[in-house]
Amino acid sequence: MSRFSTRAVVEAGVMVGLAFALSFVKVFQMPQGGSVTAGSMIPLLILAIRHGPGLGITAGVAYGLLEAIQDSYVVHPAQFLLDYPVAFGLLGAAGWFGRLPAVGSAVGIAGRFAAHFLSGVIFFAQYAPEGVSPWAYSAVYNGSYLLPELVISTVVVFILARTLLARLPAPSPGASPGASGGAEA
Amino acid sequence: MIPQVTVGQYLALDSYVHRLDPRTKIAISLVYVVTLFLVKNFWGFLVMAGFTALAVVLGRVPARLVIRGLRPILFLLVFTIGLNLFLTPGDPLFRVGPATVTRQGLELGGLVAVRLLLLVATTSLLTLTTSPVALTDGLERYLKPFARLGVPAHELAMMMTIALRFIPTLLEETDKIMKAQMARGAEFATGNLLQRARSLVPVLVPLFVSSFRRADELAMAMEARGYRGGRGRTRMRQLRLGRGDWLAAAGTLGLILAVALTRGWLRLGW
Repeated sequence: MSRFSTRAVVEAGVMVGLAFALSFVKVFQMPQGGSVTAGSMIPLLILAIRHGPGLGITAGVAYGLLEAIQDSYVVHPAQFLLDYPVAFGLLGAAGWFGRLPAVGSAVGIAGRFAAHFLSGVIFFAQYAPEGVSPWAYSAVYNGSYLLPELVISTVVVFILARTLLARLPAPSPGASPGASGGAEA
Repeated sequence: MIPQVTVGQYLALDSYVHRLDPRTKIAISLVYVVTLFLVKNFWGFLVMAGFTALAVVLGRVPARLVIRGLRPILFLLVFTIGLNLFLTPGDPLFRVGPATVTRQGLELGGLVAVRLLLLVATTSLLTLTTSPVALTDGLERYLKPFARLGVPAHELAMMMTIALRFIPTLLEETDKIMKAQMARGAEFATGNLLQRARSLVPVLVPLFVSSFRRADELAMAMEARGYRGGRGRTRMRQLRLGRGDWLAAAGTLGLILAVALTRGWLRLGW
């Protein structure tokens, strides 16, 4: 028997797809390449808040791997792990704050920032000569697009948690999918 | 306003590389990346570049596609080469304004540039010749042994597969809803951050509701057909290692030996 119910796995799959679809909708483009999307992290955060960190982290890793297939931006093995599966997996940390959705979102995105930040530092340690501080550059670059995303996602998750999530049937682990089917209609 | 999107860069062709088992290709890419970090001199890079070139030819991938895949790292490339060129201490070669280019800087910059180029070219070759679904399949098989340790290997792959199936549908739906809300006067690209965040709510609410409904229907359909998770599940398309896969493995072993030779870790007995 699997840890997650069929309903939970399928919902996670659809949320990963939704996150991916939203990542194509750019709200604004940063001059140096990063871009702020239409809240592409929100589906993953909502999923983690609804189902807990286990499913949230698994879905985040799935999203990260899809993103890696899309980008294939690999400059170092540790960079690959940190920038894709780990960074997005950490969004699932929002699941530990099920009762405080906005806090959970901020923590999840802070986790993602930490992963990208570390990957930037490792990258620079590998490729830049001695004497160039990798810490500041990595923090500024990753912060420049993640900070606006953090604000957008936290605000929207806060609103959605009070309007949408409150009206959805609570996910019950192991329940048959028929039990919750069509309840939101 | 939303571009036409296909996930990944897969190029549906029929070639030796395309026909390889995804597990073989993932393993070779992994070995290649690790080997690339062991290479320290010109001959080593020549061997690695030769391997990649061979893979491009055998995969029948147009070279311009591989080159286009390098475009995202252009900035990074110039940046790191520049840093290495001017900031590496050593014997001065020539001066550009106040900065001095050193011989060591030139060597280090070249090494870094070639490594970056080969890394990105080879990993994008993996996604060019392997469909996302095949990659997911291969990944699931590699993670399966870790399922005992609590890694949800099957669930992870199932999520990726479902996501791949729904991305085009959901993208179209996002587009439709955004247009519908714009017709009602919604603005998405104006105002400060907070206003932009709030403007997303009328798009996200219907999107979430319809997504949850889709998930409900799909979960029910799957269970109605007897889906009970990964254990004991059979597959319509079995992954099987063929002669070509062993040949590719042998070629990769040859690559490792050749690199070991260039590092002097291996000596031929003459």
